[in-house]
Amino acid sequence: MSIYRKKDCVAMVLAGGQGSRLYVLTSKVAKPAVPFGGKYRIIDFALSNCTNSNIDTVGVLTQYQPHELNAYIGSGQPWDLDRLDGGVHVLPPYMTGKSGEWYKGTANAIYQNINFIDQYDPDYVLILGGDHIYKMNYSRMIDQHRRTGADATIAVIEVEWEEASRFGIMSVDAEGQITEFAEKPKEPKSNLASMGIYVFSWQKLKEYLIEDEADSTSSNDFGGDIIPKMLSNGEKMMAYKFEGYWKDVGTINSLWDANMDMLASNSSLNIFDDNWKIYSRNPTAPPHYVGENAEISHSIVTEGCEIYGTVENSVLFDSVTVGEGAIVRYSTIMPRVTIKPGAVIEYAIVAEDAIIGENAHIGADPKDTDPDEWGISVIASSVKVGTGAVVKPQQMADADVPAAKKTAVRA
Amino acid sequence: MNDMHGIIFAYSSDQRMKELTEHRTVSSIPFGARYRVIDFVLSSMVNAGISDIGVIMHENYQSLLDHLGPGKDWDLDRKRGGLRILPPFGLTTTGGRNTSYRGRMEALGSVLSYIKQSVRQKYIVMADGDIIANIDLEAVLEKHLTSGADITAVYSKNLGEDPAESTYFKFDGDGMVCDVVTSPDEPQGNSSLGVYLISKSLLLELIADCVSHSLFSFDRDVLQKRHGELKIAGYEQTGFAVRMQSTVSYFRQSMKLLEKGVRSDLFIPERPIKTKVRDEASTYYAPGSKAVNCIAADGCYIDGEIKNCVLFRGVRIGKGAKVSNSILMQDTVVEDGVTLDYVVTDKDVVIKEGRTLVGYESYPITISKGSIV
Repeated sequence: MSIYRKKDCVAMVLAGGQGSRLYVLTSKVAKPAVPFGGKYRIIDFALSNCTNSNIDTVGVLTQYQPHELNAYIGSGQPWDLDRLDGGVHVLPPYMTGKSGEWYKGTANAIYQNINFIDQYDPDYVLILGGDHIYKMNYSRMIDQHRRTGADATIAVIEVEWEEASRFGIMSVDAEGQITEFAEKPKEPKSNLASMGIYVFSWQKLKEYLIEDEADSTSSNDFGGDIIPKMLSNGEKMMAYKFEGYWKDVGTINSLWDANMDMLASNSSLNIFDDNWKIYSRNPTAPPHYVGENAEISHSIVTEGCEIYGTVENSVLFDSVTVGEGAIVRYSTIMPRVTIKPGAVIEYAIVAEDAIIGENAHIGADPKDTDPDEWGISVIASSVKVGTGAVVKPQQMADADVPAAKKTAVRA
Repeated sequence: MNDMHGIIFAYSSDQRMKELTEHRTVSSIPFGARYRVIDFVLSSMVNAGISDIGVIMHENYQSLLDHLGPGKDWDLDRKRGGLRILPPFGLTTTGGRNTSYRGRMEALGSVLSYIKQSVRQKYIVMADGDIIANIDLEAVLEKHLTSGADITAVYSKNLGEDPAESTYFKFDGDGMVCDVVTSPDEPQGNSSLGVYLISKSLLLELIADCVSHSLFSFDRDVLQKRHGELKIAGYEQTGFAVRMQSTVSYFRQSMKLLEKGVRSDLFIPERPIKTKVRDEASTYYAPGSKAVNCIAADGCYIDGEIKNCVLFRGVRIGKGAKVSNSILMQDTVVEDGVTLDYVVTDKDVVIKEGRTLVGYESYPITISKGSIV
């Protein structure tokens, strides 16, 4: 009936979210397309995990500001997902007959693509978010799902008890079967948080999606509607315990944190691991150059960079220029940023193509700042910061910052 | 889109490159931290809109095949045309000779059917696979068309290499070649880069003539003999240009990449040099490491000190190691406390803890692929 070969599992990546808490960083791109870790975009982790887990059929559900994400995914070749049979498919909302609508919720997004999944007649469907940083072998989770004969398997991770009320919390019995699910509970009964990664037996999920769609009171969300409904109907729902690095990069602080984590040699997010490579679409840039007076410490640098100044504890993306005497500390500098001589950038995220003028000062060390006023500074893409200008901690510059007046002290 | 087809001569395995060509041809020698020599001429062609390129090989070409693959990284993985590998099998004209081609005309004679059947363009750019330069071939074509020449040769005034291996041009008042000098004792000024633009029809005539007269050299049997009857124009390559001719020149030219001017001649944003993608993570500089005047590709881990070095992908420099004036190719491991000065390590070399190796500028120590010191 289908022209495609039957697949064991199809992955669906939910990449439609706006990521509004990343503010100026997602004003033009969807959150999964935000650059991360020197060479990657956030979605590279989900896509690389799929290809490393031998999942070769992936749907990417897009909705908000999809152009850059669509262009980035392209044919899927960087992730080895350009396949004759399967491969990666970008799935925006579409019209059916006279109607058609936006994706109302995560469950509705999958509901609208039932036909896409049915083409491959899979036994299982893997539902993922496109906005987490982690390395995970999904095939082990699918194996467990198969072995336990579950209807749904939800990946969980132990979180600190004091943090637990920020997550969807699962209570499990001795066999790992989920007994209770509470979304952001005030008094959590467990510290196992849902990672938003689900394996469902497809036929079972399809029934629930159709039922959920017919219910006009539903918010059509996995966490809010589908999971609680399945649980109350007594379906067999298992937890799959994940150990390792996992981080939601939904806020400016967590995005900055995750970039810093990646540098730490004791973090379990080892991006240098040859056996679990994170793939990305590579820019075409020459090797990076380190000049006569450059100082680089505990930082990563990639192709196209020209470093003449000082770089400490920072993540530099491709084609960044750090001028003579400029200092970059505890910061993430996205592709093609130019940092002019004498500029200082600390505790900041600087987005693509920004130009930081001579002797400008972005951000501040928390040691030198009132804790209430401290926070990561953000420079939005293509913003020009003038000579000697100051961007304070917590400030988000999404328009050009004029040069300081002539009375400003020059270094 | 233009009307040019590319042919690259990648059969040379020059003896004077010693260890570097033990397992490969000159065109697949690693160069410039993340490239192979052939990437420069290949990218020049692709950047000029050439989408059909034949690469002529003869022996020792495993490494080159591995590098080129289906041509995907140069966007040459096409249904029609794209990259065509031209190995020596099925030779009819050279009748089972097992030594390398003696010249470009012999090489072209052996791929005659390819030129006849698969070249659908009017013009052919023939280029040696041992050149490091970013050549604007669209400008070469324009010069060819406006000058009305039969052949346009790309030359450089400051190639600065071994004259015994070079061909030089003298031009008349109209800018046409009036003399061709091959292998002189002293450099003669305008030296050929080994890049020629010619029409398919003229090239076919010349091949037929050379094959029937047992002539094999393009420089001597075509350019030198016939510059009187053929109109040969020159196109001057003004930016950085070199040919890979010996390990000493390899070393010297690699080190020139530390000069900003040379890098901006080669790495032009609008005409990028493309190479095989290896999906390495970024390069990490550990606390206490020190880098001065170096270029490095991705995937390196630097815990020691490097000065005036070229580091290829995946190189590791151990704690307390001091590496200066050296070229370390892909996945070289320099263990803790090692000292290197004027050393070239090929791929996968391991220098064990505490060793010291010191060469000299005119005689850098070259360590073959996979060696453990």
